[in-house]
Amino acid sequence: MSFFDSHLTSLVIFLPLLFAALLAFLPNAERGQLRTVTLIGMLLDLVLAAWMYLKFEPAGAEFQHEYRVRWLDDFGISYHVGVDGLAVSLILLTAVLGPLVVMASWSFVQERTKEFHIALLVLQVAMLGALSSLDVVLFYVFWEAMLIPMYLLIGVWGSEERQMAAMKFFLYTLAGSLLMLVAIIALYLIAQPSGSRSFDYATIYNALVGANRELSACMAAGASSPLCTNLSPMALTLKSWGPWMFAAFALAFAIKVPMFPVHTWLPDAHVQAPVAGSIILAGVMLKMGTFGFWRFAIPLFPSVAREARPLLAALSVIGIVYGALMCLAQRDIKKLIAYSSVSHLGYCMLGIMAMTLEGASGSAYQMLNHGVSTGALFLLFGMLYERRHTRLMSDYGGIASVMPVFAVAFVVITFSSIAVPGTNGFIGEFLVLLGTFKSSLWTGFGVLATTGVILGAAYMLWMVQRVFFGQLTHRENAHLTDMNWREMATVAPFLVLVLVMGLMPQPFLDRLNPAADRFVDRFNVGARDSRITDAEVRMVVAQLPPRAAQPLPGAPRPLGLGNVQPVPLSAPLRPAAPAPAAPVADPHAGHNH
Amino acid sequence: MDSFRQFLMTSPAPLQSLAPSLWLIIGFPLLGALICGVFGKWLGRANTGLIACCAVGASLLLSILAYWAVNDPTTVTGSQHAFENFRYAFGHDYGTWFQVGSFQVRFGLWVDHLNGPMLLVITGVGLLIHIYSTSYMSHDAGYWRYFAYLNLFVAMMLVLVLADNLVLLFVGWEGVGFCSYLLIGFWYTDPAKAWAGRKAFITNRIGDFAFLIAAFLLVLLSDAYSRQATEANAPGGRIDRHRLGVVVTTGPLNFKAIDSMARGLGTTQGNGPKMSLDTVIQEGPLKGRAVQGVVTAILLLFLLGAAGKSAQLPLYVWLPDAMAGPTPVSALIHAATMVTAGVYLFCRMASLLVLSPPAMATVAIIGALTALIAALIAFAQDDIKKVLAYSTVSQLGFMFMGVGMGVFWAAMFHLVTHAFFKACLFLGAGSVMHGNAEETDIKKLGGVRKEMPWTWLTFAIATVAITGVLPLSGFFSKDAILHGVHGTHLHGLEWVTNFVWIIGLVTAFCTAFYMWRLYILTFEGKRSAEAKIPHAHESSAAMVVPLVVLATLSVFALIWGLHLMTSPSTGKSQAIFENFLAPIFANTDRIIQGTGNLVRHDSPLMTAYVVAILIAWAGAALAAVLYFRFFPAWRAAGKPAPAFASMARGFAVAKFKVDELYELVIINPIKWSAKLLYRVVDSLLIDTLVVRGVAWVTYQTGAALRYFQTGDAQGYAAVMVVALLAGVAYAVWGLGR
Repeated sequence: MSFFDSHLTSLVIFLPLLFAALLAFLPNAERGQLRTVTLIGMLLDLVLAAWMYLKFEPAGAEFQHEYRVRWLDDFGISYHVGVDGLAVSLILLTAVLGPLVVMASWSFVQERTKEFHIALLVLQVAMLGALSSLDVVLFYVFWEAMLIPMYLLIGVWGSEERQMAAMKFFLYTLAGSLLMLVAIIALYLIAQPSGSRSFDYATIYNALVGANRELSACMAAGASSPLCTNLSPMALTLKSWGPWMFAAFALAFAIKVPMFPVHTWLPDAHVQAPVAGSIILAGVMLKMGTFGFWRFAIPLFPSVAREARPLLAALSVIGIVYGALMCLAQRDIKKLIAYSSVSHLGYCMLGIMAMTLEGASGSAYQMLNHGVSTGALFLLFGMLYERRHTRLMSDYGGIASVMPVFAVAFVVITFSSIAVPGTNGFIGEFLVLLGTFKSSLWTGFGVLATTGVILGAAYMLWMVQRVFFGQLTHRENAHLTDMNWREMATVAPFLVLVLVMGLMPQPFLDRLNPAADRFVDRFNVGARDSRITDAEVRMVVAQLPPRAAQPLPGAPRPLGLGNVQPVPLSAPLRPAAPAPAAPVADPHAGHNH
Repeated sequence: MDSFRQFLMTSPAPLQSLAPSLWLIIGFPLLGALICGVFGKWLGRANTGLIACCAVGASLLLSILAYWAVNDPTTVTGSQHAFENFRYAFGHDYGTWFQVGSFQVRFGLWVDHLNGPMLLVITGVGLLIHIYSTSYMSHDAGYWRYFAYLNLFVAMMLVLVLADNLVLLFVGWEGVGFCSYLLIGFWYTDPAKAWAGRKAFITNRIGDFAFLIAAFLLVLLSDAYSRQATEANAPGGRIDRHRLGVVVTTGPLNFKAIDSMARGLGTTQGNGPKMSLDTVIQEGPLKGRAVQGVVTAILLLFLLGAAGKSAQLPLYVWLPDAMAGPTPVSALIHAATMVTAGVYLFCRMASLLVLSPPAMATVAIIGALTALIAALIAFAQDDIKKVLAYSTVSQLGFMFMGVGMGVFWAAMFHLVTHAFFKACLFLGAGSVMHGNAEETDIKKLGGVRKEMPWTWLTFAIATVAITGVLPLSGFFSKDAILHGVHGTHLHGLEWVTNFVWIIGLVTAFCTAFYMWRLYILTFEGKRSAEAKIPHAHESSAAMVVPLVVLATLSVFALIWGLHLMTSPSTGKSQAIFENFLAPIFANTDRIIQGTGNLVRHDSPLMTAYVVAILIAWAGAALAAVLYFRFFPAWRAAGKPAPAFASMARGFAVAKFKVDELYELVIINPIKWSAKLLYRVVDSLLIDTLVVRGVAWVTYQTGAALRYFQTGDAQGYAAVMVVALLAGVAYAVWGLGR
């Protein structure tokens, strides 16, 4: 395996950083140059990400393009990246949006252009890194690193009330993620005995699998059954601390999604953010929340997740209906699109909570769809905003007669957003709803969620009519120019994606289906009537390279040597965990293979 | 004769080459839409119109070939889609659309005797309307947009009928709704028209909501069936190959899969324990429910879906407003094709429908009530297009009556004849408007007959046809429905027959009345003093020729209604169209026999004919008396309209206030609750109280704690000492316990 293959993921992650560094040496005044260099960087990254996506074997190992080296060894932290079917799809989405975001801000950002593009590139690095981290600390670092450039994008290049919105965004998200940090550290302490502790995601997961199965079986059988009286120490620990850790993870991710009661940062952030910020926020960052549920919160604590599932599903359904109703009450177009995101992400969460193959795959597909459709909506509205500098619906009207091409693009995207069959939105929504009906959730959830189909059409078409149809009601609008070539070139990929993903979803689904399958299995370990064994769901990842064979960090290293033994640890095993976990009792806890 | 028959029953081309080309039927109009939409502005009017017409024309030619081929009895076994229960059908599978786990949807198209006629109607009437439009829209600046939408609509409608599974059908189903939205709001600078388009789409979406849920429940039922069905469910014990094989290779929502499931549930063949309608579902989300109840729920949801698309109660309200679109659009979409999709859907799933008499009864009653109410509203409408719109709603109600009472062939027959004469009427109305400076109020027209002879002639023929006067097609199709309804009883719901039949007769009378009223006020009498222009002018050939063709068709379609064939199963005489559709409903008939849900008995055909003729004439005669003699005489005498007339009229003009009711009960509460939720829950409760509350508490706490940071070392030391003492005290006394 060549250097390129083994380092592909790292290249995808860090290539934008290289360009950010390059940008730092370019003169401030050369705006065109800055933009072009950023665009080239993003395009190169897209090529690499697309290559990675195409090389991803749907039927292959769970994590592919894996790379792992020692890093902060004393704390059990390693630099471990790799992608599963969901992550690679979201990475492709991120990489696709990258160059489009640069093109969308081509004429919009005139001040601090250099800083703006550096922020964009750094943000790209953080998002790609968070998606491909297989080490929890590495994930956390990238997760928090996303906040800073986004905070700057909103706070520096935003609209009138940008400071407030940026602060709200930052504090809201930070509150959640600090709790998550506590949970991560607790997890680290619980999962492994002192001395062999590791922040590696797969190691932690594999260490918990047995205990989780015991717990789930106990819950399924009822508190008085013998299954509950003979719990292993690890299971006991999880039983008492699991709910808290799950809650911390879930809150952090729920804020990011955003789910119903913690969604109020989103409208403000979207309204104030510049067009690039809105596209990235809607396109990628919200999916970090659903991705987090999928990757961390649910597989690590399946028994708690099972308890919390009715609540989370209910909140998702509320999000769908409530978000749609909020849209009907808006006058501000960007706020409307923001609330429609709440509604659409409700579908994603409901699909996850359905815990059926259809639901999970549909949810993952809906994540991609939402990135395309809502990203495009923000992009298109950004063009209008750039011309008129108002977000109020009442300031428009009859725009279709002065900007016909623009109107066509907007209507097409609108219909993708309301999931007309033949567009991408339909596949995701259909699968999510089908999965919900097929699941063990209350049927009423499915019915209520399906009302989103009606409400979605109601608010989107209402907005389209207010903006585009009727007579020209404002004289200022009479001389608006239609899209120029650069704008058309920015929109065209979205339109193509809408149709391609609507008519040929299978290549995308092929990569999502195995991930969804594993996800559902991991949730069901130990559940009633489930015959899934621990071995089926255990994660297989690359082991740390032996210390001796690692002269320099970052040097090429052969992959796939699964039989390399873990390095014998110098520290003696002593049962000194602060939590009441007895580490040696669990037969699965000791080794991570 | 025999050789001619042989000729007709021989496929014009080998199926191996024809079946894979089915997609071209859709592809041509789609390409046309693309060309017109993207290059239409540069191509110019004539070229754009030509391309649009050619696209539909090519599609028509292919449809004729497909229709022809489907008659070939030898095609049955050779085709890839051949399936024991489906004779006279062929199709092609273009691969997977999407697949997750055991659920999959495929791109599968097929033609059989049910959608064959639909294909011809869509492309044939579609072509005529395209030709008509080249003249009708010749002065409109947005002609290229118009033809792009129209071609796209044809393509979507073809997807709807060619689809071999429910999900692909849904693509067409929503696709036509999308095109309808665009075309109703074609003149979008008028807010009322844009609003009408939106209303149509959202009302349709309510139906689609039910459609989706029905489809999901059907998947669940199919899963349960796959789990619980036994050998006895598949006659001959070949369950693997028949049932499960179909589901695995085509997905649970394939029509063949649905059909064979219905057959397995409904027939009594086979020995041993089998899954039947009374079986309770053992596993999955439907656990504990009987199959019968689930089937009924599914069908009722499909009914709501169909009611949205086909403008039935309670969702018919969008269709009259849809007349805001250009008139040819009303003719194509809102009369001939799209609105009949609901009827087509139920005929497609007839074998499922007959499993549940309550659902059938509901379909029939909804149809009957819609027919009657729409006819009553049509009494008092003065807008020529509105009358025709309500008439369409009413005629669709007739079709639903037929479907609900299990007279599927008659419903399909009425669908076809209605497509001819209603398209003719709409195009005629368009021609009248075109010749009278876009005047739509029939009170301001009058006497157009002499100035527009061709329009008059064709309109009169179509009016005679829709009224159901003897020699024309409308007579045969409407009477086939009424006669079939009269001769069918639903098991356990015998009263429905008479209820529906009587309402049907009353509606037939009303139809005759309002159509003749429309005709008389528009074409007969003197020209109204309020007319916009003193003299009307006849329309161009491009508009007249389609009218003539459609009028001819609405006469000659009667041939299909003649009882010239003999039924192979019962040996009785049978209408040609019934015979033609027999292979489609063979399975349905088997289920009817197996379950006894439907009892058909013969009633004398002649009596029914006489009753129908009398009713049609009575309605027409009443209209003639009132509008030739009565009202002109009153008006001449200078008297105001009689009290009974104005009272009845007032209520009907207001459309029974149904729109207002919906506004009050559904739309406004949603709007207000949205506003209320936004203000109270979102802004006040969550954002202000909780989020800013937390920030405020944090700030205040910080502000309060600030006073402890005095910088006074002695103060700090004092606190430290106190804390230390407290710690010691705790260590001494606290831990000792």
